[in-house]
Amino acid sequence: MEKVKTPKTISRYSMNQQLKLLPGYVLLVTWVGFTTVVLTWVIAASLSTTGAIFKGNVFAFAEGIHPENYTRAWVSSNVSVFFVNSLLYAVVSCVLLILICAPYSYALQRFHFPGGKLIKTLLAATTGVPVIMVIIPLYMIIARMGLLRYEMSNRIVLIVLFVATKIPYTTIFLMAYFENISRSYEEAAAIDGCHPIKAFWKIVFPMVEGGVVTVTIFNFINIWNEYFLSLLFVNSDSLRPVALGLFSMINGMQYSGDWSGLFASVIIVFLPTFILYVFLSKKIVGGLTGGVKG
Amino acid sequence: MFMKRNRSMILAFVVPSTLLFLATFIYPIIRTIIMSFFSIQEITDSMGKWHFNGIKNYIDLLGNGLYRQSWVNLFKIFFIGGIITLGISLIMAVVLKSGIHGKGFFQAAIYLPNVISAVAMATMWIQYVFNSSYGLFTNLFRALHLDFLANIQWLDAGHKFWALLLSYCFGMIGHFMLIWVSGIERISPDYYEAASIDGASKVEQFLFITFPLLKGILRTNIIMWSISVSGFFIWSKLFSPISADTTTVVPMIYMYDKLFGAENVDKISRDAGSAAAIGVMLCLFIVIIFTLVNRCIKDDDLEF
Repeated sequence: MEKVKTPKTISRYSMNQQLKLLPGYVLLVTWVGFTTVVLTWVIAASLSTTGAIFKGNVFAFAEGIHPENYTRAWVSSNVSVFFVNSLLYAVVSCVLLILICAPYSYALQRFHFPGGKLIKTLLAATTGVPVIMVIIPLYMIIARMGLLRYEMSNRIVLIVLFVATKIPYTTIFLMAYFENISRSYEEAAAIDGCHPIKAFWKIVFPMVEGGVVTVTIFNFINIWNEYFLSLLFVNSDSLRPVALGLFSMINGMQYSGDWSGLFASVIIVFLPTFILYVFLSKKIVGGLTGGVKG
Repeated sequence: MFMKRNRSMILAFVVPSTLLFLATFIYPIIRTIIMSFFSIQEITDSMGKWHFNGIKNYIDLLGNGLYRQSWVNLFKIFFIGGIITLGISLIMAVVLKSGIHGKGFFQAAIYLPNVISAVAMATMWIQYVFNSSYGLFTNLFRALHLDFLANIQWLDAGHKFWALLLSYCFGMIGHFMLIWVSGIERISPDYYEAASIDGASKVEQFLFITFPLLKGILRTNIIMWSISVSGFFIWSKLFSPISADTTTVVPMIYMYDKLFGAENVDKISRDAGSAAAIGVMLCLFIVIIFTLVNRCIKDDDLEF
């Protein structure tokens, strides 16, 4: 898309333009300002004391800065356990999703075979199906098999569920990227005697790297923040992911009364996706605005 | 020979994934629909213990006051929240595309809540913004001498729903804003140039160019909104953590209590069959919205 830039010489004109945009600036700055105030306050509260929070002067730090809120949250409130769990679930699921969905998406996009169209339609339709439509029978089967009784099998169940529920979205997302790659690469590889499976992983797959990275960011964020599936399928405290762990902490607040520790935990849960976002927001925003059809 | 090799690749790439997809989506969906016509006391009961119930699950659910209330709340979130979210996000998108400096920054900052755990987000709202003793709203409105606003107990029964709606919409706006932006970006700048030359104001340009050309995006956004709203669960759970209450209950909360039983809610009896019926009704909700939206918002012959 070509953009016609206004020459810099008519600066009075552009001053006027910017002045007309003032209400727009006010709206955006207020909005972002609100977010900033809330975040700053929560960070201050996480370094303050429960007493100061209730007195309403977290910024005074009258009793000094308390980074030990974080160690307390990390160690005694078990946030470290939840953190490692979420990291494990998210990383393993994301890798499996790419290993399953990249070839799947490629084959569905590239080749015509009986049932291919039907599979594509079903995949697209299920992205709109509420997750409870599939969860009740799956719970029934998994619980009857006794898979929730042991830590190891319970973990595997969670990862399989995270992967399974994201297959339609990931597969469809990647199709748009395979569409843009010329067939001549595979043809050349075939002439050289390269097996199509090898040609896919060696030649085609690296070319959709952009799509793979973007969809993995989305999957990672979604699985890191996942709540509903874990609420149903996690059978022991030591298997909880961050969202569920934080929720149980909030419920225990009235007994522990450790508000500064709670805010420290909120920040610990918030940080990984936030940092990821700070570095990758261009990709995330681009991934969302690029693939939507009206 | 190429064909043969391709065939083996297609088989290897498609068959296992399709089987997994069928086992985790298609089979459970069909089974959920079947279950919704049975009475199933324990979720782990074998099929032999299911009792055929016809449409009694549906009738019983609709006869229950708390369940009906959960739909009233869902529709309130869908309509009021939808107008707020889609409206404000559209305004934001238009503002962002109007030639503002720092577009990328604002876009990213407004989208931010979408990457953060809903539990963490809701905790910030509930424990800070809405808190009645040290909260942001209380302090802000007190400083502005708006005491009637400062004195609102945001988390009491009378205001909780609105607090819930406000905080939920705040997070969702960024997502829909980006979708609107992508739509506006695809409108040719020629239209605006022509309109400016003809002396059309910004508001006129919005009403007669931008909005009509965004019909397709509006349709997508309403459908996406209905999908997000139908899965409404975690925010409700955080605003009423201990037990479902009439101001914040939604069908998913009711479904969860049906599945695992709730000790203190007005006697929700455990029944997996009726939980399945709730799932089917939520699915129908999306299908109905989808059909209505496609029927009401027709594509004109406008192409851009």
